[in-house]
Formats: sequence, C-alpha cells, structure tokens
Amino acid sequence: MPWYLYLALKQLFPAGRKFPFFTAISVLGVALGVMVLVVSTSVMGGFGREIRRWTVDTTGDVQVRADGGINRPADFLAQLTKVPGVVAATPFAEGVVMLEHNLKPSYPAVRGIDVERVEAVTPLSKYIYFGKLDDLDDDSVILSSQLAAAIGARVGDKVEVYSPLLIEALKSDEAYLGRELRVCGIFEIGHQALDSSLVFVTLRTMQDLYGRRGSADGFDVKITPGLDPDEAAARINAALPPALHGHARSWMEINHDLIFILQLEQNMIFFLLTFIIIVAAFSVTSSLLISVVRKTREIGLLGALGGQPRQVAACFCFQGLVIGMAGTVTGLALGATVLTFRDNIVAAFTRLTQSEAAIERFYQFKQLPAHYSASYITAIIVCTITVCTLAGLLPAWRAARLKPVEALRSE
Amino acid sequence: MNPAPSSSATDAAPVLQAAGLRKSFLSGEGSIEVLRGVDLSVMAGESVSVRGESGCGKSTLLNLLSGLDTPDAGTLTWAGHPPRGDRRAAFLGMVFQSFYLIPELNALDNVLMAARMLKPPGAAERARAADLLARVGLAPRATHLSTQLSGGERQRVAVARALMNSPQLLLADEPTGNLDERTGDAVIELLLELCRETRTALVLVTHNAVHAGKTSRHLSLHNGVFQ
Ligand SMILES: Nc1ncnc2c1ncn2[C@@H]1O[C@H](COP(=O)(O)OP(=O)(O)OP(=O)(O)O)[C@@H](O)[C@H]1O
Ligand SMILES: [Mg+2]
Repeated sequence: MPWYLYLALKQLFPAGRKFPFFTAISVLGVALGVMVLVVSTSVMGGFGREIRRWTVDTTGDVQVRADGGINRPADFLAQLTKVPGVVAATPFAEGVVMLEHNLKPSYPAVRGIDVERVEAVTPLSKYIYFGKLDDLDDDSVILSSQLAAAIGARVGDKVEVYSPLLIEALKSDEAYLGRELRVCGIFEIGHQALDSSLVFVTLRTMQDLYGRRGSADGFDVKITPGLDPDEAAARINAALPPALHGHARSWMEINHDLIFILQLEQNMIFFLLTFIIIVAAFSVTSSLLISVVRKTREIGLLGALGGQPRQVAACFCFQGLVIGMAGTVTGLALGATVLTFRDNIVAAFTRLTQSEAAIERFYQFKQLPAHYSASYITAIIVCTITVCTLAGLLPAWRAARLKPVEALRSE
Repeated sequence: MNPAPSSSATDAAPVLQAAGLRKSFLSGEGSIEVLRGVDLSVMAGESVSVRGESGCGKSTLLNLLSGLDTPDAGTLTWAGHPPRGDRRAAFLGMVFQSFYLIPELNALDNVLMAARMLKPPGAAERARAADLLARVGLAPRATHLSTQLSGGERQRVAVARALMNSPQLLLADEPTGNLDERTGDAVIELLLELCRETRTALVLVTHNAVHAGKTSRHLSLHNGVFQ
C-alpha cells in the first residue's frame, strides 16, 4: 500500500484509540442518508411491483377489449392464440351489480370468467383462501374478503344479485326476480379497492345477468415470459380484424398514469434525499479541513520526508473515499434492516398514531411493499462514493498547497 | 529509485555542493536578504557544524540545502545532480528541533514511514527499523505511540527515522534545542556515531559549542555568509 493510503487509514482509524470518533460520526452521517434513500426508493419500487402484481394477476399481461363486445369468443380465441408471443387467453365480461345478503346491500364490480381457461392466464386460485375456484359454477359467486365481511356472507351462504336488467324490467312492468347465487369462495388480493368491491362469477352467469348470451367484453392474455407487454399488445393490435373495433393494451398502458406518477415521485424522492448525502458530505469536508489545519506541521514533515504534494492530496481525498464507502456499506445494511422489519415499524407507528385504517385506505395496502431496484441501489452507491470523494477534494487541495517550509515553521 | 553508485567517481563528488546561495524574504515594505552567497561543500563521511546567532538564517539555509525551498540565486547539487523532490526521500534525512512524529503511529511505524516513502516496507525494512530503534535505545518502546514518549525519546525516534533509508546526507536543525543537557548530549553522540558508521555526511545546526566541537568541520554564519 502506498504511504499516503496507509497514512489515510491510520488517520481514520488511529492505533491505540478504541473508538475512532471523527470517523464514526462522519460515516454515520453518510450512512443515515444512504439508509433513507434505500428505504424510500425500495418502498416506492415495491408500490410499482404491487401495481404490476394486482393488474397482471387479475387481468393478465395484456387485455383486449372490443367496443361492441366479442360475439364469437371461440373464433376470436383461436385467432388470438395464433399471434406470436401469446401463451394463453381467457374471455371475460364485466359489469356492476347489486348484491344483497341479510338485507345488507352492496354494489360490487362483477367479473365473469371462464373457469376452464382463467388459470392459464391469471393465478386466481392463489388468492382464494376460503373455498375453491373449481367450485365456481353458474349458480355461485366468489366474493372479495372485505365485501364478504361487510355484508356478513360466508362460504355456503346465499346472496341475491340484481343486475341493471332489473331497471329495464321495471320500466316495462315485467316481473324480475333477483338471481340467487351461492358463495363458493372468498379471495383477497391485497389491494384495498379490489378486496372491497369485486366479485367473480362464471362468464355464463354474467352473460345472463346482462342479457348478452354468448358474448364477451374482451380477453385477458398471458404472453411469453420476458416479452415486452407493449410489444405483445402491438402485435395483437396488428392482428385484430378491423371490423371488431377492438384494442389491446398492456398492463403498463392500463396503469399508465399511476406508473408515471409513481416513477416521477420515485425520481423526485431520490433527487431530494440525495441532498442528505450532500449535507453529510459537507460535514466530512469540514472535519477533514479541521484535520488539515490541525496537522499542518505533520503535512510539512511529510514533505520533508519526501512526500509529493499530489500524494499528500491523495491521502486526504482517500479519507473521503473511505468514509463514503464505509457510509455506503453501513447505510445499505441499515436500510436492509429497516426494510426487513418494515411491517413491525409501520405497525408500531400506526399504533402510536392510531392511524392504521387511514393508512390502509389511502395506500391500498395492508403491508408495506418493498422491492430493491438494482438501478437505484447502483445509483445510490455511485452517488454517495462520488460525493464523499469530492468532499475530500477541498481539504486535499488545501493540504497539497501547504509549503513544507512554511508548514514546519508554523507553531 | 536512485541508488547511489558505489563507484569511486561518486565518492569523489561531494555529497552536497552549494555555491553562491542567496535568499531574501519580503518583510513589511522592504525585503531582507538573509543569505548573501553561501558556499558549502560536504564530502561523504564528513560532519559540519553550523553556528550563528538566532535569526541569522541557519534554518533558511538548511531548507535550501534540503530542496524544500528554492534559492533566489546560486547553485545546489546533491551528489552531483540537481535536487529533485522525488529523490529527497532516498537521498537525505532531516531532524528538526521539534520532533514532528506522526501521532497516529507508534515508534516503529514512525521510523518505517521514511521507508514507505520509497516503497511499501518488507521484512528487510522492518528489521532495519527495529534495529535502528534498538540502536537509539528504544527497542522496548517500539509499539508505543509517539504521544506516550518523552521529548528525548521522540527525538531519538526522529534520528532513527532520518537514518532509515541510509541517506547520503543528514541535515539536523538544532536537534537538541528542546532537550535537557544530558539528553541532548546523548542524542548528539548517537547522531555522530551513526553517521560515522555509515559515512553519512552531516550538517548540524546548533547553538551548543560543545556539540559543534565534535564535528569534523566548524562553520559560523554571519551576515548571510560563512565566516
Ligand atoms: N518565510 C519567511 N518570511 C519572512 N521572513 C522569514 C521567513 N523565513 C525566515 N525569515 C526571516 O529570515 C531570518 C532567518 O530565519 P531563520 O529561521 O533561518 O533563522 P535561524 O538562524 O534559524 O534562527 P534560530 O537560531 O532562531 O532558529 C529571520 O529574520 C526570519 O525572520
Ligand atoms: Mg532555526
């Protein structure tokens, strides 16, 4: 090791001192900045992941819709599966119904699915924690967890379902009875809006409820893993017959605004929190400057021993680099620890402020998501180490400018 | 980097040759000329003492000889070559009135610091450093931090450090100025003895007539020139 690196380490971690105070405080400052950056970008990244999960797991990678509905779903399915990149597709029909149990009404969105095909596209079974997807038949319904809790329905209970056809029937003075469906399952996806207002029925039941026998609103599509969903959507669009007035959109396009805002927030947070590191770097600069002044005579001595000014500069610059690296490592470790225990931390926080329900309603999550993004972590590491090395430059320049003769004369 | 060729040609050339060295400093409105043409030639194995009243420019002269400062006029050669900063570590050692040890390092590492300037020290350098510490009587204190040493002990560490790279020239600026008489005498004895053993040329600045008397040549600086 060249003498200036050796001396830099010795000055950071002096022998005989049990705890290197200056170094520890500088490192801690940087580490706190890194920790906050890691935690916040990872949680934001977790939000992004969640959007993807709940979209792809309920409506597939790509969704095709046709304005007037798809009248011959079987033919369309055959066409769709011929498009390169399409692995599987399943038809759906959507609407809103009134659902009643024990005189407690609710107005969920209802999704009619093809029980035979749906699992090839979306892993619905994964989210059904009471009952089974296989039990879904034309006389049954799968409720979302919060909805079931709100109306007090359990697996095996009967619920009454009324569709907009009821209004049509009332207008023409026809008798219309609600349809009785048996609850055969309860699901929870982990997204507040979906868990409180979505139910699944079979495609056929949905067609009956809306009086559109034989037609589907669109298809959920699963694509080859690794294929860009936007690219797949473009291919499907190219293959759609013009008469259909259909349109395929990737999950990203469907959530475009949300993803855009999230990305913007993530970048803003990164940008703002970087200032914590810059502030920490200023404290590194000032403590190194103090050390240059304190060590004026030693720096003169290094010159007398044969040290070159640029080597003296390297000695101080290297101290900034080491503080940066130690701060980064400590900060990453702290960040990972906080993220590991994030649910406990959030729980403690909400218990303190009694705001559990509000947070869940606002953020749509029961648990705080987190996803380490390699690009953000890399950016944090590079940014911190660069900033800390720059922090060493000013002290290094001061030290290199000291003339040994004058430094040795100073008292 | 620049191993001294052991040929007789180099032995014949003076280790240090200065001619017509001049140096003046700006002070207030005018400038004072401290050195007005100093000539000095020192051969290997020779020891020269420099005396003179306080403020006459002895330290200024040593700074010029060590290449740390540049003269306004005159020429200087180290073993026949012009002085260069990157040759200093191998060519000369310096001892100062204040001891200037590095407080973060222990005695042994302070001595080794001189070797580090040339290259990362190996076993041979470590052995030599330990040897030198033993020669100055500090073997048992090798692992003590410099802050744990007394003034005399620190100066002995500084002497060991100055000799670490087996320099051809040793410049000492009042090395006993901060020491009591007995300790000072011991340090000077040590300095002279070590230099004699290795035929290291020595320039010793001192106020002490007894110390000056022990060198092979005596000079005194007055009005900016040697008398
Ligand atoms: N950098 C400087 N700027 C201005 N004047 C200086 C500078 N360095 C030295 N001098 C002046 O030069 C003169 C010689 O100083 P120097 O330190 O060489 O004296 P000295 O002979 O070593 O004295 P002492 O025995 O007290 O150590 C002094 O008058 C001092 O004020
Ligand atoms: Mg002096």
